[in-house]
Amino acid sequence: MDWLEDELRRALARQEPPEGFAERVLARSVRGASDARRWLAVAAMVVVAAGAGGAWRQHQGNEAKQEVILALKLASAPVHRIQSEVRGITQ
Amino acid sequence: MKSLFVFVCLAALPVLAAPQQFQLNLDSVAAKASEHVEVSLNASTLQFAARFLDANNPDEAKVKKLIAGLEGIYVRHFTFKSTGAWSQADLEPVRAQLRGPEWSKIVGVVSSEEGENAEIWLRTSGNKSIGVAIVSTEPKEITVVNIAGTIDLEALAELGGHFGVPKVKPPEKGHKEE
Repeated sequence: MDWLEDELRRALARQEPPEGFAERVLARSVRGASDARRWLAVAAMVVVAAGAGGAWRQHQGNEAKQEVILALKLASAPVHRIQSEVRGITQ
Repeated sequence: MKSLFVFVCLAALPVLAAPQQFQLNLDSVAAKASEHVEVSLNASTLQFAARFLDANNPDEAKVKKLIAGLEGIYVRHFTFKSTGAWSQADLEPVRAQLRGPEWSKIVGVVSSEEGENAEIWLRTSGNKSIGVAIVSTEPKEITVVNIAGTIDLEALAELGGHFGVPKVKPPEKGHKEE
């Protein structure tokens, strides 16, 4: 049984980590957190850009709508006048 | 290949620029006007604008229906500070184009008392109406419009009184229909 005890003792013996192990683990966790922050920032930028694009599109759409209304307002006035004059004459 | 590409681009230009059916060359009028409104809307702008017109709003729904299928709306509106600031000769560049064979005047109203004049011209291709020109003059105002495409004039007239456009009462005297 001595050989078995020896084997177990050797296998379970406390071992010191290799040189710089703790620093490497810390560095990796810091890098992971910084990557996550970077992705979060990119995602936030995408959301903000999409929102700004949507708002800009809405603004352009409203401007186009106002121009259409203005154009038809100017075009409809003489047509309406002609229609009224013709109706007045034919009645 | 390069020359072919240039040719294709040049050939495509009239198609892209086609919707305006006559030149609104009114620089001499603009020079005399105190205010000048210029609206040029091509088919893609009209389609884009239509998406922002609320179908549940009765006025906007009418506009949406009216512009569906139009190829362009081009408006020049001038306001003058005093009467006599412009003359009929200033409109001759436009009228000369409307005297072309593709245009026919469908109605014109002259008010000698108020010095108002309004004409509607129709552009036809075969038996189909493909455009409208409106020339309206008052002592202190000129409006020239080209609507490319088929538009319901009755529906356009109905817009009078909407969007702040005052309804016009039928005349009593001093008016004649051409």
